[in-house]
Amino acid sequence: MSGCPGSKTIDFSEKTNQEGSETGKRPSQLRQWPIQMHLVSPQAPYFQGKDVLLAADCSAFALGDFHKDYLKGKSIGIACPKLDSDQEVYIEKIKSLIDNAKINTLTVMIMQVPCCFGLAQIAKEGAEKASRKIPVKQVVVGLEGNILSEEWI
Amino acid sequence: MENVLNKEIKEIIDACPEVGRILDEYGIGCVPCSVGSCLLKDVVGIHNLDPEQEATLMYRIEKAIYPGRNVPKPVVDKTKKSAPKKISYSPPVKKLVEEHVLIKRLLALIPTIVEYIEGSIKVDKDLILKCVDFIRTYADKYHHMKEEDILFKYVDEKAEVIQVMYKDHDTGRAHIRQVVEGAEKGNKAQIKEHLFGYRDLLTQHIKKEDEILYPWIDRQLSTTQVGEIFRKCNEADASVGDELPRKYERFIVELEEKFLQEVAK
Repeated sequence: MSGCPGSKTIDFSEKTNQEGSETGKRPSQLRQWPIQMHLVSPQAPYFQGKDVLLAADCSAFALGDFHKDYLKGKSIGIACPKLDSDQEVYIEKIKSLIDNAKINTLTVMIMQVPCCFGLAQIAKEGAEKASRKIPVKQVVVGLEGNILSEEWI
Repeated sequence: MENVLNKEIKEIIDACPEVGRILDEYGIGCVPCSVGSCLLKDVVGIHNLDPEQEATLMYRIEKAIYPGRNVPKPVVDKTKKSAPKKISYSPPVKKLVEEHVLIKRLLALIPTIVEYIEGSIKVDKDLILKCVDFIRTYADKYHHMKEEDILFKYVDEKAEVIQVMYKDHDTGRAHIRQVVEGAEKGNKAQIKEHLFGYRDLLTQHIKKEDEILYPWIDRQLSTTQVGEIFRKCNEADASVGDELPRKYERFIVELEEKFLQEVAK
């Protein structure tokens, strides 16, 4: 078992422990467009005074109840700290979201793989550069969609 | 058992002291509480015990109250989250916990201050009034008001646990009024009695808040509410300025330096 944990091949298609219900339709909780961090503008009305979720690209696919438990009631920006370019732009955008859009809180959701912690670092740097201070929460999602940790940082 | 859950804890312990001993084993220290008006269900719920622990505790309490009753074995609610291993506060609550540290530093000095007053020919009124100013301005106005005006508004203020906190704040204020009166009259016994009364009250009060009440409040807060409380507390702090906490931190440092020297003599 070697190589990058972020791109290592793992197959859990045989997973049998599937708690929860699949009945009923789940409405999307997305209330904005665009969502990619290079495309969103901190001046967008949907960010003003809101709780913002900065989610790693993979997290919404891993987490079964992403919409219901984490996106609901929040505005969102998504990014990949491993593959995206010009990530210093993200730091400036987070700073602007805090100082100019006066967002209420920032929740950064990352996968458990080490490269994903880069997104938490981006969030921290943006928050530290901002003159306003807000609560920042980090949520770490396991590869099989379980919440490994959820804490204010 | 349902009607017992809705009874006040003092009433239950008075009728069955064994319940107090059982609660104590689980780190639930209701026996020395001067109020004891929390309902049993709230007392147990606020401590966020493991499902197994909670079920066993309730089983033992029921057996203690109704020794002749055939009490069913504990049913474990596996859907309930286990208690976290370490307490993790939200940012606004963490700030309140940090403010407790400065207050505890004054509480730690009270025995030495009392000893100094008892050993002095004349009561050092200036020293007493400076301590009272710290308590009234930093501990009460700066700190307790953020709890009363902001944090407690986000939970059921009528809940007994919150009412107990309000009562503690009022009892603390009454002790301090007595300390001032003692200083004005030069009555050393009165100063001693009420400084120690304040120290004992606040020591327990802060422990309850740090270990039980704040985590209980944090568990109920949504992310949005944490952001709101953080903003409101920052606004409250800004309204008094940065200098106020710095001034009182300097006061405590000076007090520690003075009384550490006294102890070393």
